[in-house]
Order: sequence, then structure tokens, then C-alpha cells
Amino acid sequence: MPRFSPRVIDHFTNPRNCGRLEKADVAAFVGNPVCGDQILLTARVREDAVSEIAFEAFGCSASLAVASILTERLTGMALPEIAVVEPAQIADWSGGLAPDQQHVAILGADVSHRLAANYRDGTRDDIPVSAG
Amino acid sequence: MVGMPGEALRVSRAQWRRSLSDAVRAAFAYHHERNAFYRAQCDAVSPSDIGDYADLHRIPLLPVGMFKQAGAHVLLTAGLADIETEIRSTGTGGVPSVARRDALTTTRASVGIIGGYRDLFGISKGAGVFLCPSTAEVPEMGMVKVFNLLTAMLDDHRYLVRNYSFDPEEALAYLRGWEGRMTRHIIGPPFIIARFMRFLELESVSLTLDPESMIIMLGGWKQYTGRSISREEFNDKARRFLGVDTGRVRDMYGMIESNMLAIECEYQRKHVPPWCYVSIRDIADPAVELQPGKTGGIAILDALNTAYPGFLLSDDIGDVDESDCPCGRTGQTVRFRRRRQGAELGCCAVSIEKYLDSNEAVAECELVDVAGRR
Repeated sequence: MPRFSPRVIDHFTNPRNCGRLEKADVAAFVGNPVCGDQILLTARVREDAVSEIAFEAFGCSASLAVASILTERLTGMALPEIAVVEPAQIADWSGGLAPDQQHVAILGADVSHRLAANYRDGTRDDIPVSAG
Repeated sequence: MVGMPGEALRVSRAQWRRSLSDAVRAAFAYHHERNAFYRAQCDAVSPSDIGDYADLHRIPLLPVGMFKQAGAHVLLTAGLADIETEIRSTGTGGVPSVARRDALTTTRASVGIIGGYRDLFGISKGAGVFLCPSTAEVPEMGMVKVFNLLTAMLDDHRYLVRNYSFDPEEALAYLRGWEGRMTRHIIGPPFIIARFMRFLELESVSLTLDPESMIIMLGGWKQYTGRSISREEFNDKARRFLGVDTGRVRDMYGMIESNMLAIECEYQRKHVPPWCYVSIRDIADPAVELQPGKTGGIAILDALNTAYPGFLLSDDIGDVDESDCPCGRTGQTVRFRRRRQGAELGCCAVSIEKYLDSNEAVAECELVDVAGRR
């Protein structure tokens, strides 16, 4: 298996929905304090589903690609579904991740769960990252 | 040049300039032809404008901060499919700088660094305590990756920072266990070796390493708190508490975005490898190159990199010396002085220290504040 799947290469090279939504209904930030990978999602919600979403990400290529892939996959998805996204699902959406990239699937699942929880609880994350 | 940097650093100055210029010019042409983003930064300069050594400073530079940006894919000359390794460094700001290397660059850098170790350290056996996490624990951390290449030249080694905690007793036990069997070396960032020596001092432990023992460091002398470790004090303690003479205390300087690892000789001058040119730039106007001996922004032109243009303007301030070193090497030596004003304190060692400090086990080994004594 090549180190990067074609989907990861595509999203890394041509990121979708990059940036930060103004007046978002919810924001979720997850960062790995050791390796420094960071993903911020900002989203608008209509009828308990994500209607629009954007990302900012820093870190390894797989992190950046997964953040972009997440924005495509979570668009239109109901928040209860987002709350239970599994790392394996994210690895699958990514077209497969090498063993040393599996942490990115966990990061992606964590930020998805946080997005759903923050919307449910009405909390906003402090956002330490700056626009890329 | 890559396989035997020691030979390339002992040729005549004219020959060094010629071979360096040829290598850097070829690298510039390579990226200029294949990298549209970089080519767009080169509106006033093309490869045909780079004739000899005096022209190297004209090669356009990429600010190293670009490696932290989310859109860093534009820096790549190679496609992501060709990228083999991603090395990162995280500073106080928390956003990692990520350098992506393709297979050719990874091979060249590995061979070049090992060649540098062989030339400057002459190590081919012995045992080392590595006072840092292992590559298994932090597989992409640049500093650890560079240290890890040293293990190929040792008969035994141990990484002694685990889960971001360090037990100096364990380091002491390994060093004592190897006594009389192998030449013992200590490898790690200055701050943690200083902590170890502080432990020996506080516990009144007498430890004399071997005549050929070395202390090998990378990671900088500034702590995440902003305090600095005094090199003079460090050398003195290495002599008193470890029995290692100053000539065998060796620091290194590099940055993950470049394949330049400048390694100290016995005169504690950091030799720039023969595939790199260090250009000192006016801080107010980076287009202006300063003469050797003047202090300014450190720019590195690295001929090894095929993954992205290795022509970088760093956030570091320092100077170069082009006078012949008493050790017999020609070329350049570089001296890091400080970070550029406003730049975050950023390196792998700072990241390790920050997390180590959250662990109570090392609280008693806190360094004293030496900043006021410098």
C-alpha cells in the first residue's frame, strides 16, 4: 500500500472548505499537545444537521487531508450521527491510513464528537489556532 | 560530498566554493523548473543568473514560517505520493512546523548526517544514554530523529525519557552498568543534560566517564521559560561532574526544514556541511547579505533537498565565520545567537521540556536561573 491513499493526496493538494465560517453556530477544536496536530471545525446547523462547515488544520499531511475530508462527509449529517463517528470510519473515508497515520483518524473522530457535544451543550471552544 | 563530508570540508577554500556553488546552483535549477510556486517567487532571478559563489545570495528564499501554514502543500516540488517522511518541530506557539522529504532527500540527509557524525565525532562503538524520548514515542520529532542516527554507531543505547518523564537515577544506573565495558556517551538536549548534572551535584555523586566519552547535544540553550543555560557553566559542570573535557562537549545546530546539521569540532565551532551555504541577512532587509562576522538573520541554502526548495530564511539570528578552523576544516562555521524578535521559541527540546516540567518527578532537578549571570 502506498504511504498516502489517492484520496488523502487529493484532499491535501486540493483542500475543500478551508477556512473559518463567520457567525458559525458551533466550533470545535481538538489538538494533540505532543505532536501538535490541530483541527478546528466551524459549522452552521439547520434542523439538527450540519448545513455548512469549514476547517483549519495544522500538522502532518494526513491531518490536513482528513480535516478536509471530514468537511465533505459531515455536511448534511445529523448531529447524533456525528457524535458517534468512529476512527475506523474516518480511516475508511480517507481511503486507508498507514499505521503511523492512525492517530489522525482518532483526531478526526474526536473533533467530530466535540462538534456534536458543543452544539448540544451550547459551549464554544477557545480557538488557539490562527487562520492558515 | 554527501558520503564523505569530512573530505569535502578539508579541500582548499577555492575548491569548496566551486563545488558548493555547483551543487546549490543545480538545486536551484531543479526547483525553478519543477515548482511553479517557487518559480513565481523568482521573478528577478533565474538559474542562468547564478554563476559562482558570489551569486548564491541572489537565490530567492522561502521564510521558514511557511512550513507552519495550512497551505504548505504549495511548497512541494515533489508530489505527496513521493513523500516518505514528515518531520516536525513544535515550539511554544503549539503549531507544528512540518518538513516533508521524498525518498532521495531522506537518503541523502541520512547519509550526510551519519557522514558528519563520523567526521566530527569519530564514534564507531561504545554505549550512549539518550536523554530524550525514543523515536518510537515521538516518531516525527526532528531532534530525536537526528539523535537516532547516532545509535547506528553505538554498541548499546537507551532512551531515558519515557512518557515525558526522566529519572536521573536510571541514567546513572546505566552509565555505571557500562563502566569498564564500553566507552560511555551522553546524548540529548542541553537542558536535560544540565538537569542530570544538577542531580549529580545535589546528590554529591562522583561519576567520571571515559577518556573518549562525549556529550552530544542538539536543541538549543534557551529554555521554554525564556531562561538561558550558560554554555560556560555547562562545560565546567561536564568537567567536574562527568569528567568530560570541553573539547569533547559537542553541540549541534540545525532546523528540521533544512538538511543542514552544523556539528561542533573540538574547538566548539559548528561546521556547516559541504552541501549547504549559510548566508547572513540584514534583519531589516533580508535581500541584503552581510559579510562573514556580521550578525543577522540566518538563511540556509541546502543543495540536498528535492522535495521542496531548501532555500530558507530562518527565524534565527547569528553569524558565520569563513576563516580556517584550527581543526583543519575549511568552509563555514555558524553561530546561533538568538531567535528573531517576535519569533516564537520553537524547537523540539522546548516541547519536551515543557511537558517534562509538568511531571513532579523532575521538579527537584529544576535548573537554577542562570539568566541573570550571563
